[in-house]
Amino acid sequence: MIKIENLSVAFDGTEVVKNVNLEITDGEILGIVGESGSGKSVTALTLMGLVSETAEVTSGRIVVDDCVLREAGKPVDKKLYRTMQGDNMSMIFQEPMTSLNPTQKVGKQVGEMLKLHTVLTKEEIKAKVLETFEAVGLRNPELVYNCYPHQLSGGMRQRVMIAMAVILHPDLVVADEPTTALDVSIQNQIVALLKDINTKENNSMIFITHDLNLARRICDRVAVMKDGRIVELGATEDIFLRPQESYTKNLMEAVPSRLKRRVSAMKNADNKEPIVQVKDLSVFYEDRGSNPFAKKVRKCIVKNATFDIYKGESLGLVGESGCGKTTLSKAILGMNMITTGEVIQTTVRPQMIFQDPYSSLNPSKTIGWLLQEPLRARGILDPSQKMTKADMEAAAYEMLKRVGLEEKYFTRKPSQLSGGQRQRISIGQALITRPGLIVADEPVSALDVTVQAQIMELMQNLQQEMELSYLFISHDINVVYKMCDRIMVMKEGQILEIGETEEIFAHPQNEYTQTLFRDSL
Amino acid sequence: MKYFVKKIITLIMTLFLVSVAAFLAFQVIPGDVVTSILGTEAPPEREEQLREELGLNKPPVVRYMRWASGVIKGDFGRSYRYSKNMNEMMPVKELIGDKLPVTLWLAALSLILIVLVSIPLGVLWARSTNRFVDAALNCITQVSMAVPSFFLGVLVTYLFGIVFHLFAPGGYISYHDNFKGFLGYLLFPALSIAIPKIAMTARFLRNSMLTEMKSDYVRTAYSKGCSKRRVMYGHVLRNAMMPVVTFLGMIIAEIVAGSIVVEQVFGLPGIGRLLISSINTRDFPVTEILILYITFVVIFVYFLVDILYRVIDPRISEK
Repeated sequence: MIKIENLSVAFDGTEVVKNVNLEITDGEILGIVGESGSGKSVTALTLMGLVSETAEVTSGRIVVDDCVLREAGKPVDKKLYRTMQGDNMSMIFQEPMTSLNPTQKVGKQVGEMLKLHTVLTKEEIKAKVLETFEAVGLRNPELVYNCYPHQLSGGMRQRVMIAMAVILHPDLVVADEPTTALDVSIQNQIVALLKDINTKENNSMIFITHDLNLARRICDRVAVMKDGRIVELGATEDIFLRPQESYTKNLMEAVPSRLKRRVSAMKNADNKEPIVQVKDLSVFYEDRGSNPFAKKVRKCIVKNATFDIYKGESLGLVGESGCGKTTLSKAILGMNMITTGEVIQTTVRPQMIFQDPYSSLNPSKTIGWLLQEPLRARGILDPSQKMTKADMEAAAYEMLKRVGLEEKYFTRKPSQLSGGQRQRISIGQALITRPGLIVADEPVSALDVTVQAQIMELMQNLQQEMELSYLFISHDINVVYKMCDRIMVMKEGQILEIGETEEIFAHPQNEYTQTLFRDSL
Repeated sequence: MKYFVKKIITLIMTLFLVSVAAFLAFQVIPGDVVTSILGTEAPPEREEQLREELGLNKPPVVRYMRWASGVIKGDFGRSYRYSKNMNEMMPVKELIGDKLPVTLWLAALSLILIVLVSIPLGVLWARSTNRFVDAALNCITQVSMAVPSFFLGVLVTYLFGIVFHLFAPGGYISYHDNFKGFLGYLLFPALSIAIPKIAMTARFLRNSMLTEMKSDYVRTAYSKGCSKRRVMYGHVLRNAMMPVVTFLGMIIAEIVAGSIVVEQVFGLPGIGRLLISSINTRDFPVTEILILYITFVVIFVYFLVDILYRVIDPRISEK
């Protein structure tokens, strides 16, 4: 049994975890949910003894089976921690690619657990690792043993991480967003595996996630964290169906879910005017590797796509990573690639909103400059559209207002803005040249649920006001459900199915669509 | 295998282009080898005769072809300036063959010093949590990097030669006569070459290790219960060495190509000095071969770095 009593953790005098009390009983899965910065990861890392050395425990203590692991005011007993880490408690991290050492074979990395905590011989270690690989569903364990992390797929890497975490049968496994970096169908396999291990081993598990739907599926109890505090703690169904605190209620409201009715942005469905017509479009990449003399190899990324995007509609594009979603959208944007077929546009050049608002805005420029940049670029491309400096500034101020930000942000730099505010700027950048179509590539995936809801609302409002069309790319089926009038499903470069949202959810024709929708429930 | 063939083709193409460039440079730069040999007062007939002897009256293309075909056959030509005896000029091969070992041994010694000192120093520095050690190393490496090598050469000569009498300044011992003595003498110029590079490499390795220490896989290693020592040597070092290997490659190329200043200061008959004098006297055959040699060394070292890189980082050979 693990007890966290009145724990507070501070970085440079600022408390990020405040008076947290948690008890984890044997065999249960405790979910910790909350938005980024809520202190859920710091709580787990402190428990594991992995929090950075600049962090200070300012109050409370951590007790594992009557053994005080850490107490405020006392130095960390690193030696004690080292015997516990891995053996009694282990951790699964979010990004299996970076969490594994890139220059070491995965078999050796998993074997290190046994090397550190047992007296097994080399052969015994290898046998045990292979056995565990098999248990976590890695086919061909012998082959995987001698692979480097980059030679495995994302799902396999996470299985390796799980094998590492459970090989010593620890009492507690802490999983910090273990599926966030994975595709939907793989997410489900990993969640099922974790649940399966929990049942078999009867160990406790702390499951940290920002995905409330996921927490609901796997956890026995859920703790909701906000600003370093636990606002609500209880049985999963109670938290989801009968939230007591207003924050929890808001959080549950914001979760995109298929249970809530969708409001279509299309006013009159009869009057369909295509804004973009895609006819028999195939997109290729040419690749000749690093050899300048080798013949180019043509790879077909998108195969014979035919569809229309109508004025004022949101067309959702779903599919797993690598299925050609982004390539298709780039071809529509006219970003130079080798294509066959036709893309007929009836409005000005479409614009794009990107996934990561942190890295897609130039950090050295001001918001005002960034908003004006598309206008400047257009002025260079087409001198007849050149605008005066004052006009561009006025347009930028107007756009700032439209995306719901105050004028004072005009002179700020992206680093001074929050993720949601930055995404508003990205939207403003895309809209400032008044395009008819916006290609939004996972525009809300990097954002917290409540911010996600705000951005989606903003996008819907702007759509009404400016008669925009969206091509909305997302891997999150629930987000697509909430945003889109029609949905297009892609797999391996081919469009499998396209139809009205309600219709396609109610009666998916294709087998792949069926599994995709089921997996995301 | 394909990789090696590719590398060799690149090497040959580069050598060809460099040789043409060097040849052209010699056509463009002012100064005439004949005037530089005979002086300005020589009678025109004598000048004409010498031009004929050296083959300088032929058009440039012919001269280049003649020189290049000689090089391919292994005949590097003869120096314009150095004579073997009364009526024969010194073949470039012999001229360089005599001086190359000096430079190569100097480079090897410097490199051994750099690797042996900088890598442990960098690792220890990254490991140390003591603020004073950190500040002291910071200060020492900063100064060592800033001191120009000729001054360092003078300093080393003074300290080890004159104060401690560990070697006789200016008393170069030829490797023909006494190989041990030769190496003993070379140790000190090697030291003046190595000190700034040691400082740079150690700093570089330390920063690289500290950056790597922030990686996710380091956190994973700690979560297994690894000690800091184990994390450092078992996980971080190999990853941190990758940029350092590239950096060392650049250093090696620089050293092997000739540490001209240090050779001057310690009076070593290496190719650095030869290069300077041959450019000054428009000794085309010697200069051209030296330039090719330097090019070859640089490319070859980068090739070795490339291979080493593949050994360290399994991700590269996949592509």
